[in-house]
Amino acid sequence: MLILNSVDNLLEHIKDVQEDVISLSHDSLMKMSSFIENNKLEVDDDISTSLQYQDIITQQLNATIEAIDSMRSSIEIFSHAYKSDESLASESMKKLEEKLNTTLQDAKDKKDRFAGKSASENADDEIEFF
Amino acid sequence: MPLVIFVDDSETALASTKMVTTTMPIETKQYLRAQDALAEIQAGLTPDLIITDLNMPVMNGFEFLKGLREVAATKRTPCLMLTTETKAELKQQGKALGLTGWIVKPFNPAQLKSAITRVLRLPA
Repeated sequence: MLILNSVDNLLEHIKDVQEDVISLSHDSLMKMSSFIENNKLEVDDDISTSLQYQDIITQQLNATIEAIDSMRSSIEIFSHAYKSDESLASESMKKLEEKLNTTLQDAKDKKDRFAGKSASENADDEIEFF
Repeated sequence: MPLVIFVDDSETALASTKMVTTTMPIETKQYLRAQDALAEIQAGLTPDLIITDLNMPVMNGFEFLKGLREVAATKRTPCLMLTTETKAELKQQGKALGLTGWIVKPFNPAQLKSAITRVLRLPA
C-alpha cells in the first residue's frame, strides 16, 4: 500500500499549504485593519464587504482541512487493517470508500454552509428580524 | 451609551464589525470566545445588544444564547446572529431560542448599522 503513503504525504502537504494561506491571509487583513484604524480612514461598503471575505476564506479552508484530516484518518485505519490481515483488504477497501464518500459529502455541505452571501451575487441584503 | 457586545472566533470578523461601528454612539466589547462573554455576563456585565457568530469551537452561538437566557439580566436582551449559515431550520432554531434577528455574512455595513440603530432605538 505504498501508494497510500504517497497520498497521505500529499494530503499533509496540501494541509500545510492551506494553513499557511490562512495565516498569511489573517496577517494581511489585520495589518490593513490596523492601518485603516490608525489613520482613521473611513471604508465604504464595498471595501468593508471585501475585507469580510477573509473570514469566509478561512472558514472554507478550515472545512477542507477537516476533510483532509478525516481522509488521512480513514486511510490510516485501512492501512492498519490491511497490514493485519490481507484477506480483509477487500472489505476494508469498501469501508474506506464509504468513509471517503462521507467525508466528501460533509466537505461539500460545509462549502455551501460557510459561503454566506458570497456564493450568490444576487443575495438579498435584508436582515431578517424575527 | 448603550453597550453592544460582539462574539466571533474570527479576529478578522471582529475587526470588520469594529470598523463599521466605530462611528456609532455605542460602546462595544469584543470576545473571541463565547464562554468568556458568558462568564462576564454571569458576573454582572449587562449588554444592551449582543451580536454573535454561530459556528464557534467549545461554545457555539446557540449554546451561548441558551446561557444568556438563563441569566436574569439578559433573559430578554436583544441578540442578533451574524453568520455564514443561511439554512431556514437554523433560523427557526434561533427564533425558538429567542433570537432577535439573523444577519448573513458578509454583512452590508449600512444594514448592520441600521439593525443596531433599530434594535437599540438610537436616533437615526
